[in-house]
Amino acid sequence: MSEANLQTSAVIPQVEVQSVKPLKRPPGPWRTAWSKFRRNPYAMSGLVILSIFVFGALFAPWLTKYDPAKIDLMFANLKAGTDGHLLGTDEMGRDIFARLLYSARISLTVGFSVAIGSVLIGTMVGAISGFFGGFIDTCFMRLVDVMNSIPLLFLNILVLAIFGTEFRYMIIVLILTSWMSVARLVRGTFLQLREMQYVEAARAIGVSNFGIIFRHLLRNSSFPIIVNATLMVGAAILSESALSYLGLGIQAPQTSWGLMLSNAQEFMLVDPLQAVYPGICILVVVLAVNFIGDGIQDSLNPRQKMSERRLDRWRKSFLKSKI
Amino acid sequence: MTEFIIRRTLQSVLVLFLITLVTFGLIHAAPGGPFQMMLAPGLSPEAMEIQAHNMGLDKPLPMQYLHWLGNLLQGDLGYTFKNHVPIGDIIWPTVKNTFVLMSVAWLLTLLIAIPWGIYNSTKVYSLSDQSASFISYIGFAMPTFWFGIILQQIFSIKLDWFPLSDMYSMDKEGQIGDLMMHLILPVTVLTLSFLAGYVKYSRASMLEVLDQDYIRTARAKGVREGKVVYKHALRNALIPVITIIALDLPLLVAGAALTENVFNWPGMGRLFVQMAVAREYSVLMAITLLIAVIVIIGNLLADLLYAVVDPRVQLGRKGGRSA
Amino acid sequence: MAEKLLEIENLTAGFLTQSGTVKATEKVSLSINKGQTVCLVGESGSGKSVTSLAIMRLIDYNSGAILEGSIKFQGDELAKRSQDDMIRVRGNKIAMIFQDPMSSLNPVYTIGDQIAESIMLHRKKSKKEARKIAVDMLRMVGIPAPEIRAKQYPHELSGGMCQRVVIAIALACDPDLLIADEPTTALDVTVQAQILDLLRGLQQELGMSILLITHDMGVAAEMADRIAVMYAGIIVEEGSARDVFARPSHPYTEGLLKSVPGLEGSRGEELYTIKGNIPGLSQLPEGCRFHPRCPHAKDICRQQAPPAFSVSEGHQASCWMYMDEGGAAAWKLESNPEVSR
Repeated sequence: MSEANLQTSAVIPQVEVQSVKPLKRPPGPWRTAWSKFRRNPYAMSGLVILSIFVFGALFAPWLTKYDPAKIDLMFANLKAGTDGHLLGTDEMGRDIFARLLYSARISLTVGFSVAIGSVLIGTMVGAISGFFGGFIDTCFMRLVDVMNSIPLLFLNILVLAIFGTEFRYMIIVLILTSWMSVARLVRGTFLQLREMQYVEAARAIGVSNFGIIFRHLLRNSSFPIIVNATLMVGAAILSESALSYLGLGIQAPQTSWGLMLSNAQEFMLVDPLQAVYPGICILVVVLAVNFIGDGIQDSLNPRQKMSERRLDRWRKSFLKSKI
Repeated sequence: MTEFIIRRTLQSVLVLFLITLVTFGLIHAAPGGPFQMMLAPGLSPEAMEIQAHNMGLDKPLPMQYLHWLGNLLQGDLGYTFKNHVPIGDIIWPTVKNTFVLMSVAWLLTLLIAIPWGIYNSTKVYSLSDQSASFISYIGFAMPTFWFGIILQQIFSIKLDWFPLSDMYSMDKEGQIGDLMMHLILPVTVLTLSFLAGYVKYSRASMLEVLDQDYIRTARAKGVREGKVVYKHALRNALIPVITIIALDLPLLVAGAALTENVFNWPGMGRLFVQMAVAREYSVLMAITLLIAVIVIIGNLLADLLYAVVDPRVQLGRKGGRSA
Repeated sequence: MAEKLLEIENLTAGFLTQSGTVKATEKVSLSINKGQTVCLVGESGSGKSVTSLAIMRLIDYNSGAILEGSIKFQGDELAKRSQDDMIRVRGNKIAMIFQDPMSSLNPVYTIGDQIAESIMLHRKKSKKEARKIAVDMLRMVGIPAPEIRAKQYPHELSGGMCQRVVIAIALACDPDLLIADEPTTALDVTVQAQILDLLRGLQQELGMSILLITHDMGVAAEMADRIAVMYAGIIVEEGSARDVFARPSHPYTEGLLKSVPGLEGSRGEELYTIKGNIPGLSQLPEGCRFHPRCPHAKDICRQQAPPAFSVSEGHQASCWMYMDEGGAAAWKLESNPEVSR
């Protein structure tokens, strides 16, 4: 049955459905998910918007001739459009459009590396904790308790204050404060899988348990992990901008949307628009990423009750983005 | 009940103890030792040693930790490095200021969010419902501090309706009317950013309850629809909402950090950022601990509250059924 | 002739979905006399619960609606009443009990309060009096130590006890009609029998009518005066319990009876099952709705929906089989068979 048929099967009368032969090979879960995802307008527009930002970040040097860090007080506070400065210049004569583009590099790098890093760490911690159980598991659970008792923004600030505000430290810190949800998810799946028949069977024939469970784990929980990771991209971008705004993240001459906002606030009497652009960039990117995450989730488990799932998601992103 | 409280309290004490270990450990893991940069630059090695000895820095780490913990238990938070001010004197006033800001924002959020969410649950997909979900999407993706900056630009700079920042105007210290004017913008930011989550949450919780069999029973009894919603459904729907709110309370306190910085509000969050920039580790440790205590008390309260509202929860033992 | 309490005529009820209206019942006609027990039998998804929700007008709250037809209760039309008028009928003249007693009671109120609420609403009693009546009701439905039970919460009671409480709530205002939607399905077999006994006893004591909805032919055999069999939203057979059991006249009823262990067929024989599944509401077959599963399906069954044929006095079946027998009295030969009933 083609995808088109799947789509309309709900209205085909019973008789006709019965006459259609069952599929020889059903489409894989990834393909089904993609075909659903493709039909979700929000998710697709999110994907398009994110692609535009990724493109802008990758090809920043070709998209603008200006150096985002070049200070030239002669050309400070130019209006948009003068001298090829698409959005004008800031109080130090830096081209705003160029800064926005190069900031996208920082934000997206932070977003994706934090997501990937915390998925790796979370999967590892969760798998070890779920597999060995007992003392190791207890230690891990207490650690999660501790982590959850300190608001993440405070923890981030604390660590950056101690180790210094370097880009790599920020990424490490954000990873170290975001792996918990993935770890919990993986641990839960591991605990479930451990009880299953085939693990017993494998043990009987002497196959390494951990390997088997790990393989099944990847098969069973890769989708939820991906959704989780998507949400983490948005949360990490928000955290990065907050930290940079507070002066504990990205430092000049590097540039980031949060840092731009911090400058803009100082000079908002002079040029109010400067505070608008970076904020909109953050908003749009995070919105796009969240839409994609939503779309993936919808395309993966349509059976889960809508309200429950949304509830969970709202809570997660709610807590993430506000702390 | 008592047994439960004791068990939970012991658990909390353990978590707190771990937090002291983690924060202490973090700070002492700083490159070059925690207090290196506190010492005046250009001091001779001998002078440095003397100063370190005075501060107890030459003792082994476990001793230092015990010493610090002992002082902490006696309510002695220590002194700042730079001006040797008692840390307690710095922190307590900010706690009060944060409390003022947060309690107003929090109460306002609840007063709007819960009735709105309940209303939306009875009018699903109405204009009101859709605008709430629009707000929530935007709210989750928008950096709160950016929203604050935009409000400042519009309402303080352009329209000049409200003061730009701070808690009181100059020489109006302590006047309630002045405080109110200063509260409006930050409270708006906090309320709007928290609102969407709670509207969604109470709506979803209410929808779930309205779907329950006992609601149908109530309708079958001939109970008016209004009373079905406000008597039979509301109490059940509020159970999870109340718990979540109690759990979030400390996070809201922490969430003020960014808003406090935007509006220069002399609260804990702003102090934390200032002290982070100034590398005043002892103050950071003290605030981190304080917030952890608030978080843990919040969790404990949430559990107790749950037991009070829901007759099904019997603390301390599993709810068995008689007959 | 006995007094008619409830008369449903051509009731079509359905749900409003994004892709349009879905009819869950179509042209259902049914009547219940005073003091009578009528059983509505069918598989899940056959529309029997929708019929009961439509009578109570509770269907409005499930994004459903009565699309056509009338429901006359004691001569009053219920189908077009406003919800404001319906609350005076619900719980007062018509009461209803549901399938799962454990989830049918509000977990945060004591059971005494939940019974008293109904009494205060319809019998205009003070809270104190209502509580006292509530205790009496608990005693009436056979709950031991009713004074203590009244102060307990639903989670402290067993499933059977909960169903007794639900019955107490339903009967608190002495209704003329009790609609019981699968009242025993969620209970243990022994408790099932107790609850059915209780219902029968209370019916004799209070003289009410019962509309019992069940998928269990055994329950129907035990309780029913009359039986209506529903399939895919329509009533396919209706008659006195004796007639239906003695001479099941629709192939579907026949199948249902054959698939009950111990009712028909000898021991050791493999249990009969009706092949296939009940069709979804949005994919009903043309013609007779049962034809894809019917062992006797003929050409006409695939093309036209059968009208109700009278099999004997007060016993009707909607099946083309009976046309060959000369098209008995109930069927007037009209070009449009849909208006026949």
